[in-house]
Amino acid sequence: MSWGELGAGALRAALLFAVLGAGASAFAARYRDVRGLLSARWCALLALGLVALADLAMIGALVTHDFRIAYVASNNALETPVFYSVISLWAALEGSILLWTLVLAAATAFVAWRGTVSMPRLATAALGILFVMLTFFLLLVTTPAADPFTPSAFVPENGRGPNALLQNNPLMALHPPLLYLGYVLFSVPFAYAMASLILGEGGDRWLVATRRYALVSWALLGTGIVAGAWWSYAVLGWGGYWAWDPVENAAIMPWLTATAYLHSVMVEEKRRLLRTWNLALVIGTFALTILGTFLTRSGIVNSVHAFSLSAIGPLLLGYLVAILVASCGLLLWRSRELADRGALGAPLSREAVFLFQNVLFVAATLTVLLGTLYPLIAEALSGTQLSIGAPYFDRVEVPIALALLFLMGVGPQLPWHGASRATLERQFALPASAGAAGAVLAVVAGTRGVAPVLTYALGAFVAGTVAQEMARGIRARGVLHGERGGQAFVALFRRNGRRYGGYVVHLGVVLIAVAIAASQSGTVEVEQTLAPGGSMAVAGRVVTLDAIRDVEEPQRLRVVADVRVSGPAGDTRLEPSFAFYPNATQPVGTPGISAGAGEDVYVILAAYDQRGRAWATMRARVIPLVSWLWVGGAVIGLGSVLAALPPPRRRPARSAQLAETVAAGAE
Amino acid sequence: VSALVSPEGTAPRKGIGPRRLVALAALALAIGIGFVAAQSLAGTAVYYLTPTEAKERGLGPGQTARLGGQVEAGSLRYEPASRDLRFVIGDGVSRVEVVGTGAPPGLLREGAGAVVEGSFGADGVFRATQVIAKHDEVYQAPPPGATPSHRKP
Repeated sequence: MSWGELGAGALRAALLFAVLGAGASAFAARYRDVRGLLSARWCALLALGLVALADLAMIGALVTHDFRIAYVASNNALETPVFYSVISLWAALEGSILLWTLVLAAATAFVAWRGTVSMPRLATAALGILFVMLTFFLLLVTTPAADPFTPSAFVPENGRGPNALLQNNPLMALHPPLLYLGYVLFSVPFAYAMASLILGEGGDRWLVATRRYALVSWALLGTGIVAGAWWSYAVLGWGGYWAWDPVENAAIMPWLTATAYLHSVMVEEKRRLLRTWNLALVIGTFALTILGTFLTRSGIVNSVHAFSLSAIGPLLLGYLVAILVASCGLLLWRSRELADRGALGAPLSREAVFLFQNVLFVAATLTVLLGTLYPLIAEALSGTQLSIGAPYFDRVEVPIALALLFLMGVGPQLPWHGASRATLERQFALPASAGAAGAVLAVVAGTRGVAPVLTYALGAFVAGTVAQEMARGIRARGVLHGERGGQAFVALFRRNGRRYGGYVVHLGVVLIAVAIAASQSGTVEVEQTLAPGGSMAVAGRVVTLDAIRDVEEPQRLRVVADVRVSGPAGDTRLEPSFAFYPNATQPVGTPGISAGAGEDVYVILAAYDQRGRAWATMRARVIPLVSWLWVGGAVIGLGSVLAALPPPRRRPARSAQLAETVAAGAE
Repeated sequence: VSALVSPEGTAPRKGIGPRRLVALAALALAIGIGFVAAQSLAGTAVYYLTPTEAKERGLGPGQTARLGGQVEAGSLRYEPASRDLRFVIGDGVSRVEVVGTGAPPGLLREGAGAVVEGSFGADGVFRATQVIAKHDEVYQAPPPGATPSHRKP
C-alpha cells in the first residue's frame, strides 16, 4: 500500500466515524443515553487515530519523496533536508488543512473522554458540535477542495521543493502549528457555548468548563503571532516584524477578542454580568478564526501568506456564514433567559475598567477588520483599487494600545463594586510614581515623540502595579502562613495561579510594548555601496564588508557577504546573503543579525555586482530593544502556563482566601 | 471628580448617575474611535493604479499613489555608487519612468511585476519612495537543456 492510499483511506474512514460520532452524541445528549455517549467516545478516539495516521502517512510520503502524490511533488524535492520535509506538512494549503483536522480531532477526543466526565450532558452536546466541525474539515480533505493525497498527473523525477521562503528558517516549524493549535482550540469554548444555548442551560457552566481551553488557545495564538513576527524579522530581511499584512491582521483579530473575553469572563464569574456579551465574544472570536483561514486560503487578499487560489475559498465562506447565522440565531432565541440581573458598578470599579477594556479591544478588532477589508469593499463598490497600509493602522491602533496599557495598570488595582479615595491612594501612589519616573527617565534619555514616552511611562506604571501586588501577596502569606520570601512567592503561583500568572502575562505585554516603542522610534538606518574592504559607520558602529563569495549547497546557491561589525563590545561577523533556489525564479535574501539585549545590528545585502562581485550595496540597521519582543512573547507564554495550571487540591483553607483578600487590598 | 469616586452603596445622585456615566463614557469612547478610524481611512488610502489609469486621471505632482505594472525589459539601471535606481514600468499601453534611491529589492527583475509607491515630479518622472517587487510564485519549468539562471557566469 502506498502512502497516498493509506492516507486517503484513513481520512475516509475518519469521516465515517465523525458522522457516526455526531449522530451518537446528539442522541446521547437528547435522550441522556449512556450507550450513545460511549459510542461517541470511541468514534472520537478512532477518528483521531485515523487522522493521525493520515498525517503520518503524509510525513512519510514527504520524507521518502513520494512524488506520486501531487502535494509532495509540488512541495518537496530530493535535496530537501529531512527537517524541512517534515515541516512541509504545513507548507501549503492541503497539508495545513490536514494538520488543522488533526488538531480538531484531538480536541474532540479530549472533550469526549475528559470533558464528559465532569459535565455529561453539556459536554456531550458540545461534543456533537465538535463532531460536526470535524466532519466539515474531513469533507474538505476528502474532496478535491483540499485533498492532500491527490495523485500527481504525471510523476516527476524530482519535485519542486518547498517554497523558498519557508525552507530558510527553522522558526517555520513553530509559527504555523502554534497558530493552528490556538485557532482550533477555540472551537471548544465555542462548542460548549452553543451547547449551553441549545440545551437552554442559562447559567455559566459552559464558561467555567472552558476557561482553561480559552486561556490555552489564547496563549498559543499569542505566542504563535510573536513567533510569526520573529520569523518575518529573521527571514524577510526588511528589518521589521509587523507589516499590517491582511493575514497578520487576520491572526491578531481573534487574539484581540479572545483577550477581551478572558477579562470579561471574570465579570460574569464575580458579578454575574455581561452574559450575552461573553457569548457574543466567543462567537466573534471563533468566527474570526475561520475568517483568518478563509482570507489566507481563498486568495482574495494580496499577502505574503496567500496560498494559491482554490475551490476551498467559497466552502470556507459558506462555513463561516453558517456558523454566524446559527450562533446568532441561537443567541437571539435564548436572549430572554440571558438577561443580566444587577447592573454595573461605579466608574472606578474593576468591572467598569473591564467594560472599557472590552470596548477598546472590540474597537481595535473592528478597526483592524475595517482596514483589512476596506480595499475589498472599495473595489466591489466603486471598482477602484486602493491599499490601506501602516499609516492607517498606526494612527488608529497606537492610541487604543496606549489606552489599554493604561487600563492594564488600573484594572487589577481597583476593587469590585467601587473604590474609596483612601483605596485609590493606597493602590496607586507607588505605581503612579513609577510611571512618572519612567516618563522623566525616557525624556532625559533623549526619547522623542509622545507615543514612545507614554509607552515607557505606562510600562513603568504597570510594572509598578505588578511589583506592588507581588510584594503584598508575599507579605500576606508571610503573616498568615509564616512562609518566607521565595517560598511565599512560589506559593502565590501555586495557590492563585490565575491571578499571579495573569500579572506575569501583563509584564510580558509591557516588554512587548516597550520593544515596539523603542524599535519603531529609535532605529537608525544607513545604506551604502561598498567595495570589498570598505566600511561605513552606523550608530557608533563600523560595518565592514570583507568579501563577497559564492557558496554552492545541494539545494541552493548562495551569494554571501562577509561582514564585520565593530562596536564597543568587540567584533561580530555576519553573513547576509542571497539564496537562489532552482525552483524559484527570484532569489531569497537573508539578513545577518547580531542580536543583543540592548539593540540588534541588522545587516542586509541589498544589491551586489552580478558580474565581478566588485561591489555590494549594504543596508545596516541598529534596532534598539527589539529582542525584548521575543522575550515578551515567551513571558506571556510562561504566565499563561502558570495561570492555566490547576491549583493543588484545596485544603479547607479559609486562610488562603483571606490572604487573597488582604493582598487585593479590598475592603 | 467626586462622582467618580463614589464608593459602593452610594445612592445614585440626581442627574447622571455613576452607572449611566459608565455606559455613556463607553459609548462616547466607541464613537470617538469610529470617527478617528473613518478619518484615518480617508486620509491614508493610497490609490492603486496602472500607468494608463495614472495618465488618464491626470495624477498631479505630489499626489501619492501606487503604480503597478511590469518592469520593462532593458530599462532597469542601478548606479551602485549613488544608489540611484531607474526603471520603466508599463502595462502594455502606457509606460512610466520611475526613479528612486536605494538598492532594488531582491525580487525586482526585468519583465517581472512591480509596485511603486510615490508621486510624479513636475517633469513627469515618478519619484518612488517605495519599490515593491511582486512575488512570482508560479513555477515555470526551464526549457530542456537550459542552464538554471543562477549558474550562468
